[in-house]
Amino acid sequence: MSLQQQLDAFKATFESGAPPYNVSRERIEIMHRATEELRQSGLAERALKVGDLAPAFELDNQDGRLVRSADLLADGPLVIAFFRGHW
Amino acid sequence: MMELEALQAVWPQVRALGASLVAISPQLAQYGRAVRRRAKLEFDVLTDLHLRVAEAFRLAFALPPDLKQLYAAFGNTLDKFHDEPDFRLPMPARYVVDQDGRIRAADVSPDYTVRPEPDDTVAIVRGLRAANDARS
Repeated sequence: MSLQQQLDAFKATFESGAPPYNVSRERIEIMHRATEELRQSGLAERALKVGDLAPAFELDNQDGRLVRSADLLADGPLVIAFFRGHW
Repeated sequence: MMELEALQAVWPQVRALGASLVAISPQLAQYGRAVRRRAKLEFDVLTDLHLRVAEAFRLAFALPPDLKQLYAAFGNTLDKFHDEPDFRLPMPARYVVDQDGRIRAADVSPDYTVRPEPDDTVAIVRGLRAANDARS
């Protein structure tokens, strides 16, 4: 199954209000509204895009070791996935 | 999580192409460790405390108050996970950066349930590799 198919399946279960998530209609509507507001804000269109220079970064990894984007790019292309969190 | 697991599935291909893959989230390192363990990730999960890098990519947004309350009701307190009292998050985004630092692919979504396929990302990396090899 493709990632998008998995996400679609998750969304269908989550928004059905059924177990294991048991989410109320009201909560689903709040989440929909927030996504819609974010979409309408145009923020996604203002994010860095193809052709822009990627900002260099130095961040700790999960074990507290410093990772520098410049070091990674010295070896080859770099894929970066921003995610909100583990929840 | 689902996206990270899907990226883990293509991680060997990314490595074979001589490329790197990192995940970045604002959450504290201990939660990054938990994510890696749970999703069996082999790539690094980096801690972008206070969304400094997310801001540089212009991905940071503040949760609306009602959603803030909702997450709190789920028992999810971002201020604890992120040390982030403003309840800000990065928009989900996937970038492919070429060795010259230029962004060659960007997918930013206001909706975390709409994400690009990892296979497409691998194809872009492969294309960059081929173009770079042809130049050198």
